[in-house]
Amino acid sequence: MAVIDHDAALAKAGANVSGFWSQAGFLARRYPLGAVGALLVLLFVLTALFANFIAPHDPLSTNSRASLALPGGTYWLGADFMGRDMFSRIVFGARISLAVAVGATLLGGILGVAIGLMSGFLGGWFDLATQRLMDIMQSLPLLVMALVMAASLGPSLQNTIIAIAIPLVPSVARVVRSSTLSLREQPFVEAARAIGMGEMRIAVRHVLPNTLAPLIVLGTAQLGSAILTEASLSFLGLGIPEPYPSWGRMLSESAAEYVRTAPWLVIFPGVAISLTVFGTNLLGDALRDILDPRQRT
Amino acid sequence: MGAYLTRRVLLMALTLFGMSVLIFVMLRLVPGNIADILVDSAGIADPKEKAKIARELGLDRPIFDQYLQWIGGLVRGDLGFAYVSERPALEEIAPRIPISAKLAGLALFFSVILGVPLGVISAVRQNSVVDYLLRIISLSGLSLPSFWLGLLILMASVQWFGMIPIYTNEPRSFIDEMLLLSIPAAAVGFRSSALIMRLTRSSMLEVLRQDYIRTARSKGASQTTVNYVHALRNALLPVVTIIGIEAAFLVGGLIVTETVFNIPGVARFLVEAILWRDYPIVQNLVMLIAFCVVVVNFLVDMAYMALDPRIKYAD
Amino acid sequence: MRKRLATIAGGLVAAVALSAPAFAQKQGGTLRVSHRDNPPSASIHEEATISVNMPFMGVFNNLVFFDPKEKINSPDKIVPELAESWSWNDDKTKLTFKLREGVKWHDGKPFTSKDVKCTWDALRGDEKQEIIRKNPRKVWYKNVKEITTNGDNEVTFTLERQQPSFMSMLAAGYSPVYPCHVEARVMRSKPIGTGPFKVADFKRNEAIKLVRNPDYWRKGRPYLDAIEFKIVPNRSTRVLGFVAGEFDLTFDSDITFPLLKDVKDQKKDAICEARPTNVHSNLLVNRDAPPFDNPRLREALVYSLDRSPFSDILAQGNDLRGATMLPPPAGVWGMTQDELQKLPGFGPDIEKNREVARGIMKELGYGPDKPLKIKVATRNIAIYRDPAVILIDQLKQIYIDGELEPIDTTIWYNKIQQKNYQVGMNLTGAGLDDPDGVFYENFYSTSDRNYTAYKNPEIDKMIDEQSAETDVAKRKVLVSKIEQALLKDAARPPITHGVANTCWAPAVKNLVLQHNSIYNGWRLEDVWLDK
Repeated sequence: MAVIDHDAALAKAGANVSGFWSQAGFLARRYPLGAVGALLVLLFVLTALFANFIAPHDPLSTNSRASLALPGGTYWLGADFMGRDMFSRIVFGARISLAVAVGATLLGGILGVAIGLMSGFLGGWFDLATQRLMDIMQSLPLLVMALVMAASLGPSLQNTIIAIAIPLVPSVARVVRSSTLSLREQPFVEAARAIGMGEMRIAVRHVLPNTLAPLIVLGTAQLGSAILTEASLSFLGLGIPEPYPSWGRMLSESAAEYVRTAPWLVIFPGVAISLTVFGTNLLGDALRDILDPRQRT
Repeated sequence: MGAYLTRRVLLMALTLFGMSVLIFVMLRLVPGNIADILVDSAGIADPKEKAKIARELGLDRPIFDQYLQWIGGLVRGDLGFAYVSERPALEEIAPRIPISAKLAGLALFFSVILGVPLGVISAVRQNSVVDYLLRIISLSGLSLPSFWLGLLILMASVQWFGMIPIYTNEPRSFIDEMLLLSIPAAAVGFRSSALIMRLTRSSMLEVLRQDYIRTARSKGASQTTVNYVHALRNALLPVVTIIGIEAAFLVGGLIVTETVFNIPGVARFLVEAILWRDYPIVQNLVMLIAFCVVVVNFLVDMAYMALDPRIKYAD
Repeated sequence: MRKRLATIAGGLVAAVALSAPAFAQKQGGTLRVSHRDNPPSASIHEEATISVNMPFMGVFNNLVFFDPKEKINSPDKIVPELAESWSWNDDKTKLTFKLREGVKWHDGKPFTSKDVKCTWDALRGDEKQEIIRKNPRKVWYKNVKEITTNGDNEVTFTLERQQPSFMSMLAAGYSPVYPCHVEARVMRSKPIGTGPFKVADFKRNEAIKLVRNPDYWRKGRPYLDAIEFKIVPNRSTRVLGFVAGEFDLTFDSDITFPLLKDVKDQKKDAICEARPTNVHSNLLVNRDAPPFDNPRLREALVYSLDRSPFSDILAQGNDLRGATMLPPPAGVWGMTQDELQKLPGFGPDIEKNREVARGIMKELGYGPDKPLKIKVATRNIAIYRDPAVILIDQLKQIYIDGELEPIDTTIWYNKIQQKNYQVGMNLTGAGLDDPDGVFYENFYSTSDRNYTAYKNPEIDKMIDEQSAETDVAKRKVLVSKIEQALLKDAARPPITHGVANTCWAPAVKNLVLQHNSIYNGWRLEDVWLDK
């Protein structure tokens, strides 16, 4: 398994690894697409964090005089049917997308890691049972699973995060389990066991850190897929409810109604989703190349 | 081999059984049931009416009984009655399957004829401008929500052609139908083509580095022959895998696309049934999808075993 | 003799006048209509939505119905349908119908007085009748004591007391005659009627197909060979379809004002008619739980509303201001704008009203720094959420900090009925522009559709009183009194009455939209296509 040693890899590549900036600069030159991705993701995260300062209007406040206002002027990206500023809604929408992406990936990741570690280490019936459970969960496409979950839980931010996180669990659990299985026979794990370390402690202290590389790669890929799944769920009316400015929700119902009179209602939120997911995908590709040299392309 | 097959089939059955329990329980956690909806749609607040409907549909019976009844029927090929239309669930589901299947088939076709050649080109010309461009396009394919792409296509076709490619009347001929479905299929297929292209590219690259390719080259085979005959054939195995898996997973993309293009297929019907809490429809459809996924996975494994002599399944 | 001659002459003139346009009328063709969603079922008596009435009204006939050539449904414009004539006894408690002879159900069985008795026995709550399962409008017929038949062609309704609105209820689109011999399940999926069209097919997510009934009792009708309602849940797709010529007629009230311009631009020859949707938005206030168990706080809510932005945003200023009853000119019973001004919270000076509301709030200890935090519940669909979002925005003005709580549409009435909310944004539709229909359904203590469980013996008495009043002018006064009392009690304070457009292609002829009820007037037997 890939044990991270990119300092060495970088040194080998002739890079100056002294400072963070120069390292970043090196990586950016080596992976220009990844750098673009990192920038897009950074932009997305900053927008989400500082939405209050960036958005010129309250994303929820309505204004009858601004209904379907054209882009430009007071409303840079126009206003929706309720006279709410599209730019502000997209800015605040970043916050929701970020919350869903990070929340669902983390929650799915933590559950997946816990299940994967335990089934790799404990083996036996626990392993068998969880493996079968993972089989079951993977026998449905992600969106179908999320759809049923979202309907069961009801529409809210929290529930949407859970509905997206649960279907992400099996892939994480599988990756961690297989790493664990191969690592538990490694000499350093044997050594830890020899000095009397408990199994769980070994798992957390020694095995987990060594599965980080594939996990980061997988996690970045899942960020994008979580954002897309949320958008699809909200588009179908099962995700984040109004009036919260979820990008997917903005594309459904009322926006789609005015698709001809006010195309900006459809174009801008879609651009926001696409750019963000594009960014995470670019970044994910670069991270995979850096962290998982076996798959380097 | 025989033992392995038996084991695989048993595992498949176990997975499907687990899915049936899971979906059955999850549906019943959903707030509100069909009785609530029927009563609510008429704006009635009388709990007596609701109880009457629940009794009529057997929703007041113990959940275990309900499960046994469903699963018992399913084994015998009886899918029960849809709650909303009150027709046999099979009659509601079966006619919708061909529509979705055609759409999925067409989408898959698009994604393969786009994805595989572009993936090969991208790999052969690694790190060239063309490679970068193709990689960016394929990544954007993975980043565009397919419903948004669908909306954009609809907008554009009305704007420029004054027509709208939605499914309003039953197409008169097979050709008509394929033409009508080709636009939504392209919207769904774009995403899978991106996936296939990426996989083709990386698998091609791996193969191009192999010894036998170098050997072929050193023996004087032309560059083109090497790329397209030797390398591609060997790179195709993982691609076939992903195509198989994509076929089953296209359902996700179909759900939103059928909604946008108003196609009366089975995927949109599933969403509708979930919203209506039409248990017999949702349960049976979910089982159908799970069945397809499980069988496709199995077939892919079998294909692997047949195609690649290095893979042996001992246990 | 002279008088008789005159009558004959008059009759002739009328006959000529009526038949004159008939020369131009064309037989045949399929009317293609867009439909917004999957109707819950095809059984009009079991449902309460235009999604059912518009496609399925043509399958049935009533005993009597509102004159389909008139735009306004009013009690003096009721014409015979399956009943050829009717008569009242002296104290107006017995209504006897003479039924049309030789009428057949779509399955060939003869229509008789038993079918009429069966239908209204079921509607009165007779559990033995198996032609319906749900019964949302049971309260309409609470005044019926018994129904008797006299031979195959005569039926008598006996009422507990006189009820001038009774004929109006029988004339509504919601009052078709059902066949005795067909069970509820069939009526919900492929109903049998006596009407001008037969149901050919009802496929969810696809279409409802009606075909001409060749044995229709009215000779020469219907003109159309078939009607096809295509189910297209996405409104923009429906509009695009209409603009592109895929549909001849839009779904009822489908073209909101913000969309109208687009339709007119794209399809210059489209004929669009605006009319009230018979749906009005209103507030639900939970009077049985804090904080709104305090009548002062309810009063503050009533004074907080500015109705113009609702109308401006949702209908570009075309929505109507009114109390619970639809206001004139379309509405027969609603208050005039002058009368409305005197109602609490309806005055033109919004700032003054809000000052009153803020005064109450301050008195109760709230203020700009200490707002009252509440949840505004609403059904999780756009037509409910949009006004709720505006409401929340307005409540800020009187120190109320509202948070939208979208309720899954399946459990909405459930939640309201269990009083599990503080304030709700609601839409109420009126199947019939009539005080009995509206008040009994929504406010009478024993009504099945009184989902807020509003119980006020005082109001019950007033509703009964107006219901028995035969003098129209006097009755209107009683109706206004009820409106005032309801508003004072913050019982579903009304916000605006919706107005929207229905559009059709010029080839569609003879379509008359009824302006005070979208639920009536979809028999479509007189409509023809000029293609």
